[in-house]
Amino acid sequence: MIDIRISNCNKNYGSLRVLKDINLEIERGEFIVLLGPSGCGKSTLLHIVAGLDRLTSGAIEIGGRDVTDVEPKDRDIAMVFQSYALYPTMSVRSNMEFGLRMRGKPMAEIRPLVEEKARMLHIDHLLDRRPSQLSGGQRQRVAIGRALVRDPRVFLFDEPLSNLDAKLRASMRTEIKKLHQSLGTTAIYVTHDQLEAMTLASRMVVMKAGEIQQVGKPEEVYHRPVNLFVADFLGNPGMNFMRGHIRLDGGHISADIGAAILPLDGYAFEAAPADGQAVVVGLRPESIQPISGLTSGGGAFTLTLRPTLIEHTGSDNLVVLAMGDEEIVGKFPTDMLPKLGEPVTVGFDLGRLSLFDAESERRI
Amino acid sequence: MRRFLQRHVSQVALSPSLALIAIFLYGFIAYTAAVSTTNSKAFPRFDNFVGLEQYWRLFHTPRWHVAFTNMFLFGGLFLLITILLGLLIAILIDQRIRAESFFRSIVMYPMAMSFVVTGIIWQWLLNPTLGIEVMVHQLGFTSFRLDWLTNPDTVIWALVVAAFWQGCGLVMALFLAGLRGIDEDIWKAAAVDGIPAWRVYVFIVIPMLAPVFLTVVVLLSLSIVRAFDLVVALTNGGPGVSSDLPSVFMFDMAFRRTNLGLSAASAVVMLGTVLAILIPYLYVETRERA
Repeated sequence: MIDIRISNCNKNYGSLRVLKDINLEIERGEFIVLLGPSGCGKSTLLHIVAGLDRLTSGAIEIGGRDVTDVEPKDRDIAMVFQSYALYPTMSVRSNMEFGLRMRGKPMAEIRPLVEEKARMLHIDHLLDRRPSQLSGGQRQRVAIGRALVRDPRVFLFDEPLSNLDAKLRASMRTEIKKLHQSLGTTAIYVTHDQLEAMTLASRMVVMKAGEIQQVGKPEEVYHRPVNLFVADFLGNPGMNFMRGHIRLDGGHISADIGAAILPLDGYAFEAAPADGQAVVVGLRPESIQPISGLTSGGGAFTLTLRPTLIEHTGSDNLVVLAMGDEEIVGKFPTDMLPKLGEPVTVGFDLGRLSLFDAESERRI
Repeated sequence: MRRFLQRHVSQVALSPSLALIAIFLYGFIAYTAAVSTTNSKAFPRFDNFVGLEQYWRLFHTPRWHVAFTNMFLFGGLFLLITILLGLLIAILIDQRIRAESFFRSIVMYPMAMSFVVTGIIWQWLLNPTLGIEVMVHQLGFTSFRLDWLTNPDTVIWALVVAAFWQGCGLVMALFLAGLRGIDEDIWKAAAVDGIPAWRVYVFIVIPMLAPVFLTVVVLLSLSIVRAFDLVVALTNGGPGVSSDLPSVFMFDMAFRRTNLGLSAASAVVMLGTVLAILIPYLYVETRERA
């Protein structure tokens, strides 16, 4: 069942086109993450769904009802903001109660509801404090609590964890995920943090310059990016890109990247390749490993390369390898570290390879 | 010596101004208090100690009672009207209106004028033979009367209106700055929560402006106690002494009626009044900060 339908949505600020013909359908209970660099229009899109921004053309439907010209309060949504946006002159309890009171709900119903949600978020002991007396994490819990008591059809999150420190962010992320699993409410979540997007999303929407680049499950977007932008934007460290061209040789297809010729017989092409077509080969660092570390059987391909730099990240080690004039990065387990300058045989997991047309930058 | 300077450089740097303040502010407050216990006429003389007699005389001078009451009447009305309308104008200007800076300049402009000019402008405007009254008569409403300046019961309104006209710009600017400092997400959260705009102002935004209110009250209160030039230019205390303020009374006693002792006593009473308002405020302020 479609819960939110965004059709042909455009937003212009003067001559600046912030959103270009956005179409998106969100199923009931999905957790949709809008991901993209700053200025890509993801927050604007969220504000338009919330009704805080008017769209220039297009339509928004929530729960089968056209809400394009409906006020935010009548859209059956609740929103959590990056800056928490708590009412600073009110206690935590009043912050959570206020919206319900404005809707004319009787106090006798509000009280137990607020207390229940506060217990759920472990802020029941803070109900009589002011927001200024709380830590950042506690404030964000209150902001989530204020959204929860409204029991809306859709939750909207606008970078809710960006103001928290790394450790708190990770634990709040887990809690939001648990919360969504137990409530099952449809949610749209805006972030520029790909880790948040990968862990939280049931589907993620990657945006760039007002356009949707790719919509899909996190692992699908991660492993089968539709274009160079998505491939480059996701993953840390980023994907290795190697320029080359296609060689059609009898029945065999391969990519000549100068330093090596990669067989592509196992690759699932989306468009038929042409001989000599300029391409960019993309391979994530975890697909470049010492030969014994490879697990996927998708056609092991080995090369002997010289390590020029080793970076320790704690759990893994990033090994920079010289390949012709270019350098690529591989992820090596700690017990298989090569020595600097001594050539080492590395395996390429070609089953995880992505191939892009050099001109259109699209996946082929 | 060098080490002494290094260690106490801040004290050394501050000491000249501290010395000046000690002499010219606190020194002369003490001097005035001393003069108020003498029978000085045109010049201060300390050979004629009369104790608190000047205060007794002061509180038995009807003109002082008029002036002292006027200060609270004028001050209360001025404070109330200026804060309410200043805030209202700030809220209206904050609605992302067109030509915002144009309206802002209009409201701010009177601030650029001295109280003397303000006083004279309003004297003309309120003059029954050439100001607003004549204008309304020419429009055909011949029964209209605007005799604030000549009626002892309403002359205080003339002062309030002129002072408001001058002070409104500053108050509006302070409130506008406060309103602009409020996180936009609060407005968005309120919109999603479905709280009507006036309720957001009453329950959330205006309480958030509490520090601005405090600043405004202090600034306006100081200008109330200081108010002198406006009265001199607009009404000169008249009709009779009905629009006298303590500052005008004090000036009159000291420099026109050669009664320095009584004038000093009125100055001390004014200082006492200011302290009676200011000390509780400072007490609350410092306790909240701590």
